[in-house]
Amino acid sequence: MSRGPVRRVAVVGCGAIAYEHLGHLGRLAGVGLVGVCDTSPAAARFAAERFGAAAWFTDLTTMLDATQPDAVHVLTPPHTHEVLSLQCLAAGVDVVCEKPAAPDSAALERMLAAADTYGRHLVESQNLRYNDPVLAVAEAIAAGRLGEVREIDLLLSLDLAGGRFGDPNLVGPGVHLPGGAVHDFLPHLSYLFLLFAGLDDQSPLPADLEVTGRLGNLGGNPRVGSDHLDAMVFSGGLRGRLRLAPDLSPDAFRIVVRGTRGSVETDLYHPYLRHEGGANVGKRVAVEHLVSGTKLALTGVTNLRDKVQRHDTYHGLGRMIDEIHTAFAAGRGAPITPMMMRTSAALVDRLVALGSRS
Amino acid sequence: MRVLVTGASGFLGTAVVDRLCTAGHEVVAMVRPAARLEGAPWDDPAVAVVRGDLRERGPWMAEISGVDAVVHLAAAASGDLSTQFQGTVLGTEHLLDALDRSSVQRFVHISSFSVYDFAAVRAGAVLDENSPLERQPEHRDAYTTTKLVQEHLVRDAFADRADTLVVVRPGAIFGPGKHWDHGLALTLGGHLGVLFAPRSTMRLTAVANCADAIAAAVVAPRAGGTTLNIVDDALPTHREFLRMCRRAGADVPATVAVPWWAVAMIGRLTGWIDRRWCAGRAHLPEFLDRTRQQARWKPLAYTNHRAKDVLGWSPRITLGQAVADMVEAGPRR
Repeated sequence: MSRGPVRRVAVVGCGAIAYEHLGHLGRLAGVGLVGVCDTSPAAARFAAERFGAAAWFTDLTTMLDATQPDAVHVLTPPHTHEVLSLQCLAAGVDVVCEKPAAPDSAALERMLAAADTYGRHLVESQNLRYNDPVLAVAEAIAAGRLGEVREIDLLLSLDLAGGRFGDPNLVGPGVHLPGGAVHDFLPHLSYLFLLFAGLDDQSPLPADLEVTGRLGNLGGNPRVGSDHLDAMVFSGGLRGRLRLAPDLSPDAFRIVVRGTRGSVETDLYHPYLRHEGGANVGKRVAVEHLVSGTKLALTGVTNLRDKVQRHDTYHGLGRMIDEIHTAFAAGRGAPITPMMMRTSAALVDRLVALGSRS
Repeated sequence: MRVLVTGASGFLGTAVVDRLCTAGHEVVAMVRPAARLEGAPWDDPAVAVVRGDLRERGPWMAEISGVDAVVHLAAAASGDLSTQFQGTVLGTEHLLDALDRSSVQRFVHISSFSVYDFAAVRAGAVLDENSPLERQPEHRDAYTTTKLVQEHLVRDAFADRADTLVVVRPGAIFGPGKHWDHGLALTLGGHLGVLFAPRSTMRLTAVANCADAIAAAVVAPRAGGTTLNIVDDALPTHREFLRMCRRAGADVPATVAVPWWAVAMIGRLTGWIDRRWCAGRAHLPEFLDRTRQQARWKPLAYTNHRAKDVLGWSPRITLGQAVADMVEAGPRR
């Protein structure tokens, strides 16, 4: 972040994702962590002490009054985002909100309208946009190495019932979202698809965009809600397959983008990059395999180093936070624009709607 | 007394409930909603089961009212920091909120040896209740971090009634179903075991002995306001424990021993690499991480003198018998 007046930043919600935000905020030059807030005094106090916040609170109103922040990161459970974000915006504070910022487009519109009314920014955390493999895929597309993008295949394999979402000891739904536990991850699938398709700054979605498939519960754990998505997205010559599967191993976030001139494949959990392109004749394919194999072997070394150095799946979050606060400080709009958020939310709505048809 | 036991269906919790019943107490056993309870001590009429999860508020908060004493065992021993924070710290926060602390005559908090700063105790010295606590738990692990926060939380809650609180710090609890890999640091491919620091003492306590000490802490008049380390009498070295397990019939693989000085040297080397190239942020496995190496393998001595003196307790199960019971129960490898 560029040098200038210190931005006063506070955090509400001190759970798992807050540790990621706070870790990055604590390292950002130009940002002062003025407060953290959680309904649990122990959680708020621990976060403040661990990450060097100036003060801790158990009530958002009190924190806003006492710390007068420039921006608040809203990192509470998704069903509370709207109320807390609106409160922050009304207090004249910019908001960085964890995904999904809202359970549906209607709620997002209310939040964006409030941001407009109060002249503040609202930005949804879309951290995977800033991960190395995503940047590499986007760069390959932008450079034309894939030709025209035809297929985007996103597969997130994750046992949603294995963690807190499906814990049989806890009461009620694991997450209060219409799409169940899957919904918590739909923004990632949505904005990555739109990014690779070149549609993420075009709202509304193309009129011919068609979404089909299934959203449901494979594992039988009612606390999880929906734990499985298998969706196809069509628009013109573009096809997308967006999947979240709870019963596959290993955990992975596989991305394959295929175009008229080549394809690129990566994984966000165990990053590698495989690019294939050019004519499918002669010795070229064999040579490409040799090159890909060598790169894959070297990637293993890189991944081991990254694991030791804690360069994990959240490494893009720090870049995103840095860009957001740099933009805020400069009086510019957030790098993740309202248009991007609207488009992503609109696709999420369409994916969630598959649940009512399944 | 009417004694609430949290984490009652766990490895130690079951033994504590059993011991409290034997001692004639009425037990309110708090277990998670999905816990399976079969046989003793759950069929004892002196045991009333309350199902609930300390991580969230709920009807259990009213069901535990009116207890005279509490044995707080519930904690999360695995998972990432957030998971362990919820299971250990938030659970404790909710418990303390639910209790009418003014009517509780004794609160026995089960802490852990993991809260100590092992690096601050010189090799060969005695680690006891006066040893310093870990000052940089972020360099250890989530368990140490959350157990420290939990202990502070409990001490703060009873700051004005210090005589009510007993903090018990058990060593490595072993027994049927929990064998600490028979003292091995690693097993390579299931065929070769690696024994670190074979001459370092293991701070063991048999589950029955530990449960006895905790039950004694509920009623011991002089226990209020004390902190007590719980280990057994005849503590074995890692090598001795391995040999005892092998003699008792445990299927232990062929073993290579790595002396403490070599373990420590590896730790210093990886520590230097970490500082040189990883800005001190490297995430290393326990056997390579110098700070965590010291917590597990540093040659230290341990004592149970204070617990014996304050509680009038003495380990009734010998090490040999406890190892035999553990091995007989399996699992055999």
